[in-house]
Amino acid sequence: MLKGHLDAIVLAALEAGPAHGYAVIETIKRASAGTFNLPEGTVYPALHRLEEAGLLASAWSTPPGGRKRRVYSLTKSGTAALAGRRKTWDRFSQAVDTMLGGDKTWPA
Amino acid sequence: MAGVIDTYLAGLRREFDFDPALGRRMAEEIEAHLWDAAEADPAWPSADAERRAVERFGLARAIAAEFAADAVARQSKRTWIALVATLAVTFVAMRLRQMWLGDVGDLFPTLAPVVDRYAFIAALAVGTVAWFAWRRSWLPLAVCLVAIIASVGAGILRAGLFVDGAPLSVLIAAAGEIALIGLLAFHVIGLGRRLRRTALLRRVR
Repeated sequence: MLKGHLDAIVLAALEAGPAHGYAVIETIKRASAGTFNLPEGTVYPALHRLEEAGLLASAWSTPPGGRKRRVYSLTKSGTAALAGRRKTWDRFSQAVDTMLGGDKTWPA
Repeated sequence: MAGVIDTYLAGLRREFDFDPALGRRMAEEIEAHLWDAAEADPAWPSADAERRAVERFGLARAIAAEFAADAVARQSKRTWIALVATLAVTFVAMRLRQMWLGDVGDLFPTLAPVVDRYAFIAALAVGTVAWFAWRRSWLPLAVCLVAIIASVGAGILRAGLFVDGAPLSVLIAAAGEIALIGLLAFHVIGLGRRLRRTALLRRVR
């Protein structure tokens, strides 16, 4: 189930600012309180796919005395795509909440 | 002796044989990740810390399979674009040849015009059906390629383009369709290779 939403989760993890792959996976683990405990490597195909789609941009960066890393950031299209996916998710999760919660008023 | 991370990265590069350039880039990127993860381990510095970083990262083959599946999607898109361009240019070249042949007459009037026309129609029909039914399939695209080659081959034969006297527009169009057939063949072969590699990575992971 998580795999279907991985791209949106990665976009959301980069909303706060540019980050490299390791930081992205750490953000996902921290924000989900360990619920999304997926193999760390699965984030890289998602990052690459989103970059190919123009939703992310990336560049190599080497901080002074640090390790060379590829840093990813949201593009304008990425920000718009994240807003769109958020809206879709809100509607979907509200519907599931209503169904599973036994509220018979949905759809209104 | 190579460490755990170095060995893992060497294996990862090997799994990316469907796209070695991407494999080199990913290995470079993932190397930083693995060292960060190993250094964050309480047992660092040790082989155990490296081993745990690699384990948390996941199987190199599984990661390569994800990339290979994405590569198939991209390659499929490129192949379809090449097919549409080849069909369009071949159609224009056929019309130009036809107009010219109206003046000078066919060199091989019996079989060549039939192959020229119906092989093209077959390519168009197979391509249209495949677009709706088997968009990720390799075989219909290969069939289209063979049909276009037959059509263009017959067209060139009937017009005798190797003989002096063809107008420049006809020759340019023929050169364009031959170049696009080359491009289409390159993409069809690439798609077949990536599909086979993806299937193999998924089967044995």
